[in-house]
Amino acid sequence: MIQQPSQNDLLVGHGRRRLRVADWAIWLVLLCLLGVGSLLSDSMLRPANLVNIMRQAAPLGIAALGVTFVMILGEVDLAVGAVISVSAVLATSLMQGSSANLFPAVATSLVVSTVIGGLNGSLVAFSRVSSFILTLGTAIFLYGCTQILTGGMAHGTVSPGFREFFNLRLGGWLPVLVIAFLLLALVALVIQRTSVFARQVYLIGANRRTARLSGLPIERTIVIAYMLSGFFAGVAGLALVARSGVSGSLAASGYEFDVLAAVILGGTSFQGGRGGVDGTVGGVLILTLAFNLVNIIGLNYHSQLIVKGLIIIIASAAYQRIGAQQGG
Amino acid sequence: MKRSSSLMVIVALAAPLSFHSVKAQGTLDQQQKQAAEMVDTAKFKKAPPYTIGISAGYMSNSWVVFSLQNIKYEASLHKDIKDLVVTDAGFKPAKQVADIEDLINKHVSAIIYWPVDDKSIEGALKKAEAAGIPTVNAGGGFTNAPGTTTNAYISQWDIGEKAARQLFKDMNGKGKIFAMLPIAGHYASVDQLAALQSVMKEYPGIELLSAQYGDWNRAKAKQITENMLQRYPVINGVFSPSGQMSAGIVEAFDEAGRIKEVTFSPADEYNGWLKDVAKLSKGGVVTFPTKVGRDAVELALTALEGKAVPKGRLIPSQYIPAADAAKLAQADKSDDSWSNTLPNDWQPK
Repeated sequence: MIQQPSQNDLLVGHGRRRLRVADWAIWLVLLCLLGVGSLLSDSMLRPANLVNIMRQAAPLGIAALGVTFVMILGEVDLAVGAVISVSAVLATSLMQGSSANLFPAVATSLVVSTVIGGLNGSLVAFSRVSSFILTLGTAIFLYGCTQILTGGMAHGTVSPGFREFFNLRLGGWLPVLVIAFLLLALVALVIQRTSVFARQVYLIGANRRTARLSGLPIERTIVIAYMLSGFFAGVAGLALVARSGVSGSLAASGYEFDVLAAVILGGTSFQGGRGGVDGTVGGVLILTLAFNLVNIIGLNYHSQLIVKGLIIIIASAAYQRIGAQQGG
Repeated sequence: MKRSSSLMVIVALAAPLSFHSVKAQGTLDQQQKQAAEMVDTAKFKKAPPYTIGISAGYMSNSWVVFSLQNIKYEASLHKDIKDLVVTDAGFKPAKQVADIEDLINKHVSAIIYWPVDDKSIEGALKKAEAAGIPTVNAGGGFTNAPGTTTNAYISQWDIGEKAARQLFKDMNGKGKIFAMLPIAGHYASVDQLAALQSVMKEYPGIELLSAQYGDWNRAKAKQITENMLQRYPVINGVFSPSGQMSAGIVEAFDEAGRIKEVTFSPADEYNGWLKDVAKLSKGGVVTFPTKVGRDAVELALTALEGKAVPKGRLIPSQYIPAADAAKLAQADKSDDSWSNTLPNDWQPK
């Protein structure tokens, strides 16, 4: 009698895959880009510039961590930019320039962002509408709500100490914001590598039909993935406030496209079942580095757009090629 | 080898910048001439009460929010104005076309608008005029395109020139600067850059390191400035007439520990910038008055009375030194607020 692999066997098998060169491809591409940058500008490899890049990458990177899980599932979250905006605007409005309001404001922003993610997940999981359309609709709805609530203007002032804390440099060089980003990336990586939830995400993303037949909790997994995406978007909103305050009611409008670009550049596919937060972090850094590079080599604006686009195309192609050669 | 290659690429790609100055100067002279022409509005004459339609290209911008409040306030002072109907295109040109057509169908008396894209709404504005509805551009810029009866405008050239002159004066006429402009290709960027380059001819000791585009976005301006600080070990001044972007630029310099070495040009009345002026005691203001909304209402009413209006009414920008500008800062209000002359009851909520 042929013994069918148990659900546990399927889940355990995933975590034991050996690391291959393909898994490091994105970092090889990043290193090459840094190398090219160093040939074009003396500033590229200066520690101050490298820290600069990490700091600039933080809000985008944090948001991209959550979206990665959604995309591994084979879904998409186009509401991420709207959730970041809601989080940033809500936090500042609640802080009202008072230290006493800091933690309630942060907590409320994160709870609201996570709940929005959960609602998105529920709609995706239990309706037959594509996540692309659903989350696009949610994004428009949220932008509209933000506009109504704010009247088109960001209200409130940041609590004293909030921005100063995140801009503090440990050892005189490493911003707390960068440490926060790296810690969150580590948390996301641990979730990805060790949790049953993440293994379910990969299996469902790889083959939903098989996953359903295997008895995996598909709807619950989708809802949790979207809640994670909402939570990380909420944190990204707070990171945006820490970086540059809130200068408008649509603070992160357009971010969703940068987030998607970073996640896909990092190797996570729209089809699902593959990719990971490690690749996403690499993708975020490549995107941020591309912007940094065109600024510091002194190109004019129009040329910057061309070169930035070329960097993204070449980086993506190189990554895919290395991955293909290694059987990834 | 690497530097000469980079230099060749930079020179080749920077060449188009030189054309902006000539084009903007020609446009400025033409603009002033066109603005002075009087427009016969006899065909728009109608008896009160009036309903004024407002076609907003976008509302998610605090300057626009304050400008709209100015419109509402001015309207409240005229008993002939019965109602205001406001539409928001949300940055979508096609939606603004539809909004204007809706306002025409609602038989509004006049339309005040600020465009997402001038060209795309031209047809709709022509329909409005054909229907006997005068149109007033209140977006801060000037257009002589068909369909726009008159403009309440602010001269971006004037702003740029005032900001540049004050900056170079504060720098004692020498040093290295970079320019932070709004959106690439937008008339504000073209005119500001042209004005800057024009004033620079009188100050040969000033060197323009780079012109960047921050999209009127504080976070983006900060990010670009952080990169500029890595590229250029010496930056003596920053030309940035936009207060929102200047606030981001100040943060970047401050976090890099280079705030003391730089002089900032005056910028507009954005509260985040005013707070920086108060803190640093430098910079100042060249106003970008939100009261343009009030002038737009006055022009609309004049047209509805059948009296001739100028093609463009210039709302002048004023320079306010740092010491006086600091008093305009409202520490208890959001950075996203604007210093203005509205009564308290009419401040945006």
